[in-house]
Amino acid sequence: MYKEKVLQTNEMNQKTAKFLDKFVKRVKANPPGVCPIAVQLAFLQSSRSQTCGKCVPCRDGLEQVENMMREILEGKADMETFDNMVDLAKMIQDTADCAIGYEAANIVLQSVELFHDEYMSHIKDHRCQAEIGQKVPCISHCPANVDIPGYIALIGEHRYADAINLIRHDNPFPTACAFICEHPCEAKCRRDLLDSPVNIRGLKKFAVDQVAADQVKVPPCNVATGKKVAIVGGGPSGLTTAYYLSLMGHKVVVFEERAQLGGMLRFGIPNYRLPKDRLDEDINAVLSTGNIEVRLNTAVGKGKEVTMEQLMDEYNAVYIAIGAQTGKSVKVEGVESNGVYSAVDMLGEIGRGNIPDYSGKRVVVVGGGNVAMDCARSAIRCKADEVTVIYRRRQIDMTALPSEIQGAIEEGVELLTLHAPLRIKADENGNVSAFVAQQQMINLYTKQGQPGAIDANKPELEVPCEVVLMAIGQDIVSEPFEEFSVNPRRKTFETENTTRVKGYDKVFAGGDCVFGPATVIKAIGAGKIAALNIDEYLGYHHKYLDDIDIPEPKENNRNHYGRVHLTDRSARERKKNFEPVENGMSYDEAMQECGKCLRCDHFGCGVVEGGRV
Amino acid sequence: METTKTLVTITIDGVQLSVPDSLTILEAAQNAGIRIPTLCYLKDVNEIGACKMCVVEVEDKDNLVTSCNTKVKEGMVISTMSEKVVKSRKQVLNLLLANHDVRCFSCGKSGECKLQELSDEYEITQSCYKADAAKLPAKKENPFLTYYPELCINCQRCVSTCNKRAGNGVLHNGKIGTRTLIDAPFGEDWKVTDCESCGNCAAACPTGALIAKNHKHYRAGQVKKVLTTCPHCATGCQYYLVVKGNQIVDVEPANGPSNKGLLCVKGRFGSFNFVHSPERLKYPLIKNHETGEFERATWDEALDLIASKFNEIKKQYGPDALAGFACSRSPNEDIYMLQKMVRCAFGTNNVDNCARVCHSATVAGLAMTLGSGAMTNPISDITTDVDCILLVGSNPEEAHPVVGMQIRQAVEKGARLIVVDPRDIGLSKRADIHLKLKPGTNVAFANGMMHVIIKEGLVDEEFVKTRTEGFEELKKIVEEYTPERVAEICHIDPDHLREAALMYAKAKKAPIIYCLGVTEHSTGTEGVMSMSNMAMMVGKLGKSGCGVNPLRGQNNVQGACDMGALPGDFPGYQKLTNPEVVAKFEKAWGVELNKKPGTHATDVFGAAIRKEIRGLFIFGEDPVVTDADQNHIRKALESLDFLVLDDLFMTETAQYADVILPGTSYAEKEGTFSNTERRVQRVRKAVQLEGEMRLDTDIFIDLMNRMGYPQPQLTSEEIMDEIASLTPSFGGISHRRLDKGETLQWPCLDKKHPGTPIMHVGKFARGLGWFYPAEYVPSAELPDEEYPLIMMTGRVLYHYNTRAMTGKTPGLMEREGHSFIEMNTEDAARLGIENGEKVRVSSRRGTIISTARVGEKVSPKETWMPFHFPDGNANVLTNAALDKYARIPEYKVCAIKVEKLSPEEQNA
Repeated sequence: MYKEKVLQTNEMNQKTAKFLDKFVKRVKANPPGVCPIAVQLAFLQSSRSQTCGKCVPCRDGLEQVENMMREILEGKADMETFDNMVDLAKMIQDTADCAIGYEAANIVLQSVELFHDEYMSHIKDHRCQAEIGQKVPCISHCPANVDIPGYIALIGEHRYADAINLIRHDNPFPTACAFICEHPCEAKCRRDLLDSPVNIRGLKKFAVDQVAADQVKVPPCNVATGKKVAIVGGGPSGLTTAYYLSLMGHKVVVFEERAQLGGMLRFGIPNYRLPKDRLDEDINAVLSTGNIEVRLNTAVGKGKEVTMEQLMDEYNAVYIAIGAQTGKSVKVEGVESNGVYSAVDMLGEIGRGNIPDYSGKRVVVVGGGNVAMDCARSAIRCKADEVTVIYRRRQIDMTALPSEIQGAIEEGVELLTLHAPLRIKADENGNVSAFVAQQQMINLYTKQGQPGAIDANKPELEVPCEVVLMAIGQDIVSEPFEEFSVNPRRKTFETENTTRVKGYDKVFAGGDCVFGPATVIKAIGAGKIAALNIDEYLGYHHKYLDDIDIPEPKENNRNHYGRVHLTDRSARERKKNFEPVENGMSYDEAMQECGKCLRCDHFGCGVVEGGRV
Repeated sequence: METTKTLVTITIDGVQLSVPDSLTILEAAQNAGIRIPTLCYLKDVNEIGACKMCVVEVEDKDNLVTSCNTKVKEGMVISTMSEKVVKSRKQVLNLLLANHDVRCFSCGKSGECKLQELSDEYEITQSCYKADAAKLPAKKENPFLTYYPELCINCQRCVSTCNKRAGNGVLHNGKIGTRTLIDAPFGEDWKVTDCESCGNCAAACPTGALIAKNHKHYRAGQVKKVLTTCPHCATGCQYYLVVKGNQIVDVEPANGPSNKGLLCVKGRFGSFNFVHSPERLKYPLIKNHETGEFERATWDEALDLIASKFNEIKKQYGPDALAGFACSRSPNEDIYMLQKMVRCAFGTNNVDNCARVCHSATVAGLAMTLGSGAMTNPISDITTDVDCILLVGSNPEEAHPVVGMQIRQAVEKGARLIVVDPRDIGLSKRADIHLKLKPGTNVAFANGMMHVIIKEGLVDEEFVKTRTEGFEELKKIVEEYTPERVAEICHIDPDHLREAALMYAKAKKAPIIYCLGVTEHSTGTEGVMSMSNMAMMVGKLGKSGCGVNPLRGQNNVQGACDMGALPGDFPGYQKLTNPEVVAKFEKAWGVELNKKPGTHATDVFGAAIRKEIRGLFIFGEDPVVTDADQNHIRKALESLDFLVLDDLFMTETAQYADVILPGTSYAEKEGTFSNTERRVQRVRKAVQLEGEMRLDTDIFIDLMNRMGYPQPQLTSEEIMDEIASLTPSFGGISHRRLDKGETLQWPCLDKKHPGTPIMHVGKFARGLGWFYPAEYVPSAELPDEEYPLIMMTGRVLYHYNTRAMTGKTPGLMEREGHSFIEMNTEDAARLGIENGEKVRVSSRRGTIISTARVGEKVSPKETWMPFHFPDGNANVLTNAALDKYARIPEYKVCAIKVEKLSPEEQNA
């Protein structure tokens, strides 16, 4: 009897746990624009469902907090209700027996602080703040606001060229993004409520694999406006601005310090992730608009070939998009030894075609971001004997995409996590001989919600090596622009929301040189906003519409499908060279993924307000 | 993309149908006469499938589908009334009613409410669910519109209408937690929002949630609806006057060809209060010259006095000492009879209409270059599928709001927009490029455009060769107008000029739309001809989506010109100089006609002062308020021997009259208006008011007979038949055709002729189009040291000319009721004038007090005033410098000074 009962109970718990997985999924797929108090109420209800019923504060108190929270949510409460609710939550926090009640109340108190303005808006104005309101998840999460449902529908109808031009309406780098975009669009895909997010990047890749971007004619430019804009930096952000300004009819001159365009896409991202010839397809298309002149090998700034003063004199506006080009360094003993390089230098050389030979060498890479993975996987391809990535925190704390970490491991990279740099040892000739690290333990979470790492009080670890690659972040080369509102601490440009550099009329800046090192799609998004604002600044409101009619949606397919993942070439093969690692989708795979798109631009909030969401 | 129509076979409720696959299930059902209930659905505007009332069951589908936005597919078997469907609809209604305050007895929409109708149909009197939405306060500060959140079912019809139809985008969705609110801008801050109070949202609301205040005064079933034409601007919006008893209580939009169901604030809320105004003249008045007071008279007394006085003047000084002005707001039939009275009974061609002061330059200019002085293309044609719109001297969002809405829609859909205007008008915010040129420099601008077009090789050589003449001469002139020189004249950036020229010339379909910013200059006619020069040079005439399109100012100012209220033209622009024409009219009218061309209205005043004109009959005009240089007009009216006024109200001008006759408004008579696109539309009688007012046609007929011309009594319909018999371009137009629902744009040559939407196709009315070689001539009065600022005048959205009509609607006066002058921040700062401060404004002709609105709308050294307001009338200041062809005054440019008032004056 007794044993049977345990089994039964376990069965119920298992069922509940499985059922809760759906709950977790639902919570994870929470759409953008939901009222945080609605989220809080749902949180509270689910917290209360966990009460065991023993103690008054948790059993009876949470119920009252929930009632008051509902009043606030619906705009029926006054300040007294709010104060009573906060008092009660504090009492619960003070008196709760266990974490069930304590944490529920704690979360309420946190949300009251975090969303104070929203609470006040509900109480005083009986409405949410203006920015609350749902939006199409993928479009609003894309920093360039690409019409994702639109191009997926076009791919579904085999109109690949139209899909590419629709993407280019907001992002002139469909190919680069097809290969390496971090696809924030997928994070809140509504499809995740049913099964898993649509593989949006994979579909984009399918589109550019069907027809090369430079084979798709760009929309016609507006007639010439007679205005000239200088763009400093020929990376993704600068070229994005150039593309839109060119379509608007402005003459654009791009000043690029290096011998080729592309910025970090060419000189930071290894060929195996983004093949240079494919990057050229995007760049060719951008240049094909016709109003863009490129001046390569031309640095801008104080003491360079061209000064900012010259640009401000000769051009109607200037856009600075110089990126973040120098590697950060840590002050550890031995960092000046021979064989220690910054990641950007190493990847830059490879980008120029100077592939180092690491045969017989052991390589240590310091860092946990995508750049660290790029270095590590490139080092493998440079024939290193061993490659070790040393990172202060845990693997799950790494900022690199999980697929990049996985790819590196498959190719033989060893992760040495929870190890902080201590010193670099060198031999008598000053050449690196080993990297010494201190073991760390994970500790209290910081205010930003990251787990801290501290000395674990374990012995030092010595990793013998001949090459050390520092991949711990990048800085912008700010000296030539110092008087242009560069933040002295962050070394980035200070700009308004419009991308206009603070204190300047005609100077705009965007991309990594404003945000610090970030994603390509963020740089592209900033480039587009800059182009629109430069056009406004020049006194225009130019349209650059290419009239593409988007297919009407098919019926929503709500059957549960597995997600089509992109596969890589075998690790054994791919690590031998810099050829692209990722395989594209087949036609069948692509059509299945297209069919999964729920067309949130049509179903749900995407159609209201004349589609201005 | 053009898709070929494919037919599919479907079955709806057992009926097999073959329908195009482009239809939705709802459309297919509607076409087959099968009713599917809808609530949130508004065709082409709100097809979002939100309310789920239109669900149907489709065989082999698990879910119910929304018929409003689901396309038919081959083999579909559809049930519109299955048990599942009906149950679901009932649940929808229960859910909606739960939060809908069912207070139908006090709701103005009771009887028209879609929710009420459907609840009745599905037999639901009360929701089975409990309501718990917060009760939010109504937004009702806007004088025209109210939003009651507790009646709102969140169907989105209003929001979609504002965004997609009105193109204004001021209605949004807000949230309170998980509920949606409509952010209706009708609360305390209604005056500072961008809401234009057009009320198109209210017209779209299926319940009483968003409702016009006018609608509170009646219930469906208590009213009759009379289809007629709006009496404000010349867009020619079609609407119904909603009549309760003998009182107009509301206006409802009709789906007219020019308004497509849209209306503006004036049309919807300002077009009937004046009809019932207690200030209406109710009986004839004769001035007692001893007391200076007007005294009530009988019609016989009044008309006999006029007949004898006019006959006396005619006898003593000849017929040309008499003159008559027609009313551009009255129907074609009235105007026709007035000009017939002047020509046949007065015996003179001294007849004109107020087009003289607005678009006479258009009538003259386009007649000279193209052969016909009217808008070449329909409104719908130039705002639906066009690549680029060149908008010159026109602020349609305010002066022709329903055209403005359609331009906004076009721009939203991707049409490029070039705004050429000295002010930052609303549309300049949406324009690809705005040429903020100095007032009075249109000819230079156009010549500059053509200079670039020629230099860039963008001339349509074939068109120029085969369809036009005079190109070489024009080419020589515009050679001098380099962008740099034009930029200096116009105070614009030469790059903007080049770009505008290329953009316009290269666009496939590009209309020029212009208005009084082009005409109201001492060089207005040349400005107009410059517009046709540009269009001809690039072959953009006689084609869809192109043309030269003047937006006429008054509801029937097009008609007033068409009907021959012009000193040199008989109806249909038949020339007095053509003996055959004169012979035809002499025969038809049975009288020998005066062959001497008449005096233009604007010259009548000078002639009166010189005693060349002694007797004047003014039908529905108020030149003291509307004409340039008010003091000059007053002097002229005082100089007349005998002045007769036929009007609705005791106007400023009426004070000078010897006899005042009470006429009837558009709501009390039958007739037709010709809108700006030459579309002849019906005006219908809605009410019969108490008082001795007479039909204006009857007044004219009576007076003609009393003066000795035997004019038989005719109805409005019969008058139109006479017009048709004598006017080739109206040959096929009759009330009967219009009443059958035909929509006719002249020329309409015979009873079978379908009318002419686009003019000059294949051949110009003139034969060959003529390039008029116009040189830029500066405005007559330029700023100097004493009067350093340029002043322009214009309309605001909320009023119409003298406000004789709009001033009778309190809400319009509340929104905008006083004189103001826009000036640039720079000038204001120099003069120490703050925004909202009272200032003294003077020109060589007079001084007024107005209120400064300081900002960047106008350029430095320039100012702008509306001419509606008597508490600071801009026309005291304006200059009566006249155009050499059209005799139009230069309202758009005069030199003024603005002065700060002393503290005592401020307080006074």
